[in-house]
Amino acid sequence: MIALQICVVVAIYAAFRVVFEKNTLRKLPFLNVVSFAVSGIIVLIIPQPLALLAAGAYLIGTALGSNAIASTLAGDEEG
Amino acid sequence: MNELVVIGAGSIVLIGAVMAITVRDRYQKLIYLSLIVAGVMPFLAEKGYLDVLTVISLIVPISTFFILLACRRNV
Repeated sequence: MIALQICVVVAIYAAFRVVFEKNTLRKLPFLNVVSFAVSGIIVLIIPQPLALLAAGAYLIGTALGSNAIASTLAGDEEG
Repeated sequence: MNELVVIGAGSIVLIGAVMAITVRDRYQKLIYLSLIVAGVMPFLAEKGYLDVLTVISLIVPISTFFILLACRRNV
């Protein structure tokens, strides 16, 4: 139960860091931290083996989305 | 479900929604859209909708990619 609370606190802290970070590129690592914490919450809430698959799919998908945003933003700033 | 999880996920969704409305930058709007999706996921997991969670996790990056293609060009 304490692991779930730690994951929730990390998610809220990273969400506030996303809001109060000025640089747009520096928001993206904290978005990844929110995603890691949320996938941990998913696994810790559901006591089933299928939750591992769902959390893995969520982790891979959100990392893909964040990297797409980051690479497009970096390419837009260059040219 | 733990009340801390409800309060935390709900506050993440509310923060993402309010900031996505108020912010003017295009990429920051996409970032807060991802924050909304991250906050919705524990509510799906709490009811046991694991198939819905998996499908949403696979659809959201594709939709993010298409929104990026739409907002990359300077209209």
